[in-house]
Amino acid sequence: MFKNHLKIAWRNLKVNRLFSVVNILGLSIGLAVTLILFIFIRHEQSFDTMYTNADNIQRVLLHTDGDNGQEIWATVPPSLGPTMMIDVANVEYAARTLKNDFGGTASLRVLQQNFTENNLFWVDAELLHIFDIPFIKGQAKGALDRPNTAVLSETTAKKYFGTTDPIGKTFTVDGRYELEVTGVYKDFAKNSTLDCNIMASGITTGFFKNPSWNNASFETYCLLKPNTDLASTELQLQEMLNKNMEKENQWYTFSLQPMKDVHLYSSGYDNAYASRIGDIKEVRNLIYLALLILLIACINYMNLTTARSQKRAKEVGISKTLGSSSSSLVLRFYMETGLVTLISLVIGALLTSAAMPIFNAITGQDLSTDLLLNFEFLISLLAIWLVVTLISGLYPALYLSQFKPVIVLKSSIVQSKGNIFIRKGLVVFQFAASVVLIVGVLMISEQMDFIRNQKLGFDAENVVAISINGIKGTEKKDALVSELKGLGNVSSVSLAQGFPGMEVSGRSLSRNDDDKESLNIQTNVTDASVIDVLQLKLLAGRSLPIFKQEKDTLVEVVLNKKAVDYLGYTPEEAIGKTIFISVPNTIVGVVDDFNFASLHEPIGAYAFHNNTGERKSFALVRYKIAANSTTIDQLETVFKNVAPNTAFEYSFLDNNLEKLYVRERRAAKVGFVFSMLAIFIACLGLFGLAAFMGEQRKKEIGIRKVLGASIMGITQMLSKDFVKLVFIAMLIAFPVAYWLMDKWLSNFAFHVDMSYSVFIIAGISALVIALFTISFQSVKAALSNPIKSLRAE
Amino acid sequence: MLLQLRNVFKWVQQGGQRIFLLKDINLEVAEGEFISIMGPSGSGKSTLLNVIGMLDTFDEGEYDFLSESVHTLKEKYRSNLYKEYIGFVFQSYHLLDDLTVEENLEMPLLYKKIKGSERKALVADMLDRFNIVGKKDLFPTQLSGGQQQLVGVARALIGKPKLILADEPTGNLNSQQSEEIMQLFKKLNEEEGVTIIQVTHSEKNAEYGSRIINLLDGRKI
Ligand SMILES: Nc1ncnc2c1ncn2[C@@H]1O[C@H](COP(=O)(O)OP(=O)(O)OP(=O)(O)O)[C@@H](O)[C@H]1O
Ligand SMILES: [Mg+2]
Repeated sequence: MFKNHLKIAWRNLKVNRLFSVVNILGLSIGLAVTLILFIFIRHEQSFDTMYTNADNIQRVLLHTDGDNGQEIWATVPPSLGPTMMIDVANVEYAARTLKNDFGGTASLRVLQQNFTENNLFWVDAELLHIFDIPFIKGQAKGALDRPNTAVLSETTAKKYFGTTDPIGKTFTVDGRYELEVTGVYKDFAKNSTLDCNIMASGITTGFFKNPSWNNASFETYCLLKPNTDLASTELQLQEMLNKNMEKENQWYTFSLQPMKDVHLYSSGYDNAYASRIGDIKEVRNLIYLALLILLIACINYMNLTTARSQKRAKEVGISKTLGSSSSSLVLRFYMETGLVTLISLVIGALLTSAAMPIFNAITGQDLSTDLLLNFEFLISLLAIWLVVTLISGLYPALYLSQFKPVIVLKSSIVQSKGNIFIRKGLVVFQFAASVVLIVGVLMISEQMDFIRNQKLGFDAENVVAISINGIKGTEKKDALVSELKGLGNVSSVSLAQGFPGMEVSGRSLSRNDDDKESLNIQTNVTDASVIDVLQLKLLAGRSLPIFKQEKDTLVEVVLNKKAVDYLGYTPEEAIGKTIFISVPNTIVGVVDDFNFASLHEPIGAYAFHNNTGERKSFALVRYKIAANSTTIDQLETVFKNVAPNTAFEYSFLDNNLEKLYVRERRAAKVGFVFSMLAIFIACLGLFGLAAFMGEQRKKEIGIRKVLGASIMGITQMLSKDFVKLVFIAMLIAFPVAYWLMDKWLSNFAFHVDMSYSVFIIAGISALVIALFTISFQSVKAALSNPIKSLRAE
Repeated sequence: MLLQLRNVFKWVQQGGQRIFLLKDINLEVAEGEFISIMGPSGSGKSTLLNVIGMLDTFDEGEYDFLSESVHTLKEKYRSNLYKEYIGFVFQSYHLLDDLTVEENLEMPLLYKKIKGSERKALVADMLDRFNIVGKKDLFPTQLSGGQQQLVGVARALIGKPKLILADEPTGNLNSQQSEEIMQLFKKLNEEEGVTIIQVTHSEKNAEYGSRIINLLDGRKI
């Protein structure tokens, strides 16, 4: 029986070649997409599970009131780590990590050579107790106990020391700290959030040695005793805080985040150093997309199979009169479906390994298909096969097996209205989904264009930021500035702590020292030229003073409009007023608002000041004509003249701004590829359906031609029905797309307005694609010889 | 002269060999004739009828229809020509199942781009003449075979053709129904001067015509 069913199924596949190809191709692509995403999702979920203590490791989060309500930071004050280790009973170990220069790069001098390292972390020795990081040279235990020690990853050790054994060797960081290498560890796994190239002993620096309850810049991990209750630990944290800080000074509270959640559930948190940040929302969206594509492929199968049902009906009728039961027929159709999906699954798996590199390139991932051979995965593959078979086969099997033999055998069966309705509904669904996807892709790309062309209130083009962390002493920095200014292509140079697009120091702004209310403000220590370099619009006053006496403690400040608005001054009134940003500041100028953060956020308050407390880390250089390699070579030569022992590291301001939207661009690319696939599969289905309709209406077409219908007329007649369906699909798709895109756009404080044109373009594309697909079959049917179609009686 | 075939050959290529479907057919048909084509199964009767009806092409020879040389005409003109002057009646009726009797009758007029009001009038007239007014809203499957063929003939006639081509019009009907259809043909031919060419296996039916053409293996005998 079983073998017989299988034989019939196989024969059916071979006879109906077009249908088989359309079904298998669509399902294979759908399954390949699903498999790739399955691998991706498994990878995302596997983050940080490789650590033995993974279940007991927590990251401390800080909650505070920001401009836009509650903010959660992934970084906490440096006092927290050591204090919680002593005061909180549940905590076994706690370790702080601080990326060099609060998130910047480090300039290294190793074996007489200069390097720029952007993944150097200062950490507590306890970190090696919390995370079991395998060492290749030296040992984890005690490796970072002493000040001025460091451990390197295998790759980093090779990069800096080559074949020399690095143990015991020393290197210098930012010309300030000399560190001895005490160990080399295996590179962090691809799915580890922690990803340092160099871990240096934190107690080398003052920040670790003399910790405070402010300066919340330290990402802090702790290891809890096994089976510890999180809520009670958080209570203990609060008690600890109460002991160390007056209630009224507490501007934050703490909570714990399980290590296993760090990767996927941190996208809304500020200030984390980790670059490997996932986003559960992105993962979810991808799952929805994959399911949608798979569903579209399954619908193809259902549609084509039921469309063919008229032909199959006779087979069913005969089988039934011969005594075959409904359930046996259901089984037979499921066998056929199972065979199709099995073939598709095999092809899909092959496609997966072929398409993996493409997926990696688009998403910037580094996934491998090794997982496909994993036993657990093969089990899930089996599950996928069963589910897809069940879904695809459900409607055809039930529908076909319910045929009444009497009706069926009366040669001219009228297709039941319900069947046609469902089939049309499924096509409408496919096209509605496609239209939604097209609208989405268009809208996202419009927003990306908008971001690229948005007037930011400053000019990021033609500005290079050169890292000057490695240069010691004001004279040298001044020398660098004057030499840079001497270059022909350079129009102005400014030294600054940071630049728009990067975080600078967050402080609070108030009119008087004792004001209860204050506004968060970004402060950037810089000099007079900054307004020229960034091409800011000065609304009142002037820029920062050009000269500042060594012992001059007066702090001048240039505020943006948002800040003076808060203070209640007009730009003109503000000039000369003294306000408080930690210390008294005198307003010397007001500039118009500019987008110093990503366009996701509304413009906040910003201050350029000349308080010397913080370091100026960059020389911002504006040049006259677009930079080419000679410009950069010139800059480097000048830089090397002034600081021969420091690595030359630069970036373009506009490139840095682009990086703020990496996730969106990736979403746009993934969305684009997936939408194309979805539309392609939907079209495959339409192609098959149109072919079927052409065949089914062969006789009718013949009669009409004999009665004088033109080829054009027949083509139109055959296409009209499908076009109607596409229009209905649009009616459904547009509101859905509108709602979804409205939601997406609201993530941006600055965004394009939803435009009609996007919907019109999406509608027309869907229509054109559908028409193109159908017309091929319609024309073919219309051209067919009427005598042939009429003879078959 | 309505139509004239001169030395018409039609063949298909099969295994490097020419299989002749029509061999050297010469035929003249005057307006108002009623011709029956007879011959054993596979002798080429339908093929000849289709060639006459311009639904099929031929490979050699000449064919004039109302002094147009059909063999030199483009497909588009050919279809205009038969749309205008020829009506077809089939053994299995070939009515469209999804359309009512009325709509089936209306279809040829649609393709001739006749105005709505005129169409209505012509259809009503035809329904009346064939005594099927009461059936106008029924679907073909709700009619008997004889009634269906009646509709088939009505549809062939509605465009006021000069020539009716009927391929075994009574093949699916019982003798009484056949009789009716044949009477109808005779009446049309005699009273309205419609030229009729029918294919038939029945000697009795062939008697209705004024001339019989016998085919054997594609050749006139
Ligand atoms: N396109 C074709 N290719 C090959 N052979 C064909 C083709 N068309 C018709 N024939 C053959 O030509 C011969 C004549 O066919 P035709 O349909 O004209 O016969 P007929 O006289 O109408 O027969 P019947 O009385 O059974 O209807 C048949 O043997 C048929 O198989
Ligand atoms: Mg025949």
